[in-house]
Amino acid sequence: MMEKNKLSIMDKLKINVEKLNKRVIKPTKTWLSKNIFKRTTIIIKKTFHDIYSSKKIIIMIIFMLFLPLIYSFGGAGVDFGLISPYHAATVISIALVFPIFFWSLGLAYTIFIGVSGAPLISDEVKSGTMLLLISKPISRIKIFLGKYIGVFLYGMLLSFISIFVIGWIGVLFQSGNIDHFVSLIPFLTALYLYSLFILFLFTSITLALSSIFEKSRNASLGILLIVIFSYLAFMIIRQIAGENYAMFQLYHFDLGYHLGNVFILFIESLDAIPPSTSWQLLFGMLTGVYSTDSPIDPDQNINLGGYEKTNYYLPISSLLIWLLIAILLLAYGIISLKKREISV
Amino acid sequence: MSIKKEKSPFEIWSHELTKIYGKGKEALEAVSEIDLRVKPGIHGFLGPNGAGKTTTISMLVGAISITKGTAKVRENKAGTVKAKQIIGFLPQDPVFYADMSGEEYLIYMGQLGGLQKQEARIKAQELLDYFDLFEFRKKEIGTYSGGMKQKVGIAGALIHDPKVLILDEPTANLDPLGRADVIKKIISLSDRVSVFVSSHILSEIEQMCEDVTMIDQGKIVISDTIRNIKKGYISNLFILDTNMNEKFLKQLKDKEYVTTIRIDEIDGKIHIIPKNSDKLREILPQMLVKNKAILYSFHQPELSLQDIFMEIMSKKEGT
Repeated sequence: MMEKNKLSIMDKLKINVEKLNKRVIKPTKTWLSKNIFKRTTIIIKKTFHDIYSSKKIIIMIIFMLFLPLIYSFGGAGVDFGLISPYHAATVISIALVFPIFFWSLGLAYTIFIGVSGAPLISDEVKSGTMLLLISKPISRIKIFLGKYIGVFLYGMLLSFISIFVIGWIGVLFQSGNIDHFVSLIPFLTALYLYSLFILFLFTSITLALSSIFEKSRNASLGILLIVIFSYLAFMIIRQIAGENYAMFQLYHFDLGYHLGNVFILFIESLDAIPPSTSWQLLFGMLTGVYSTDSPIDPDQNINLGGYEKTNYYLPISSLLIWLLIAILLLAYGIISLKKREISV
Repeated sequence: MSIKKEKSPFEIWSHELTKIYGKGKEALEAVSEIDLRVKPGIHGFLGPNGAGKTTTISMLVGAISITKGTAKVRENKAGTVKAKQIIGFLPQDPVFYADMSGEEYLIYMGQLGGLQKQEARIKAQELLDYFDLFEFRKKEIGTYSGGMKQKVGIAGALIHDPKVLILDEPTANLDPLGRADVIKKIISLSDRVSVFVSSHILSEIEQMCEDVTMIDQGKIVISDTIRNIKKGYISNLFILDTNMNEKFLKQLKDKEYVTTIRIDEIDGKIHIIPKNSDKLREILPQMLVKNKAILYSFHQPELSLQDIFMEIMSKKEGT
């Protein structure tokens, strides 16, 4: 017993090495789990570890919460004691739609995905560590997918925490009644589904750019330009163009419009917010999803059920088109990395 | 009766392996139709800087595409996952994840090589011990010296038990002690794996290898065993050492069968390049007897690989 305790770390190592050399390699349990995903999982873990740090994620969440917090502080001017939990959730949701769509899941989230994902391939190629990776028996497709899934999982975690916290903040600062949080779940679910769509699209764009560009700075800049172009530039173009926007079919190129359309698809599908003039007008002006013509029937002076959609594209079409674009970008990123000359 | 396919005796084999960068007028042929034949053991890949060594190795490990020709590692097409399962590779100036410890890095490389985490850990510790890095296993690679980094790099290349180790200038940027240490390890590794090692330092290759391939301007200049290469390049220099070197220098100076003769400043011996070496061999014993001189040595020095390479290069330039 004493002898055993006295074994040095090197003795233990020698015993382990002997065991390892004597080991019988058992047939793998399932071909799929052992062979397809094993090495990809290693890259996923490393990627997640590289981009994740609790400090970083807290900073990102605070940044994403910034605008919803200001809107929640503003209050809705409603006596929550007099309305049902469903109506309370509607009031809270309406207050949060704009800051979440444009800020939390718009500018902040997409930029975070870009900044986190842009260095993953370009920096690894530039620094030379990619050479060590590709010299191992793992295909470049798996390296790419490992990094992609790593960013995706990180983004899922980030948006889940942010949306959950936004929901709590909305409830606490507006109604103060925690029971209202349950009624807010359809809205939060719609937000989360939309965040997954955004995550899929922007991770594809980011990693495709990271595969193409030699410097991660250029990939990050590319993402920044796309974000500005889709959320801010087209907002101005739409206003200036007026009727010409529809006449010249500029909506084909208006990513902000398509993102708004997809957002509305999730909101409507889950019946997260009932049609209401107060948020549709603003949303319509900023994304072009809703017509800005008043929904009040002038003859009978009744609300016809919210603003009409412009319907340049069906919301499901916008979703499918941009999912397809994301898939194509993903494929393009894989092909770019596969063909890339990794110089020593 | 089934015909069994004969197994290739070569660890690395290539046929007309070519790499061209760019297109049209700006095309640059970095490697031109080289036929590599690397047998088990340690094989040196020599050439001056810019000769195409790294480009060739990059094609073998699948880092860059092959423009023309084929390359195989133990009958597996170079660059495929199957080929990479057999290869262990250390690039020139390897870059590591600086925030990883030596042990973490090796475990990561082992897992990518197909080992389970526990297996990778045991293997990593075994290799760290082998490379005298065990006590530094928990330290970040960023804090390692050049020699330690090089050794952890070789360990990373070995962790998945490859059959062929490809090392690109493994001793570059190391101090003499580090070089000697790495060379010693490479030699001892040849019992376990075949090693294909590139270098522009020919004396190192001479210490390690039996077979060499010399490359220059993307083309193979010579490929053979060092012994055979040396046989083909016998020196025309004779070195004579007696107890009266000055006297012999005077006597031989004006002979018609001597091209140049001098006393070397370093060894103090007479260095003779004869026009007719048979005549020199015939006359010299007579002279020694006549002068009652004591002969210490008379020999033709063996050419080093460096001398041969220089001679090949000078002949090439001459043509």
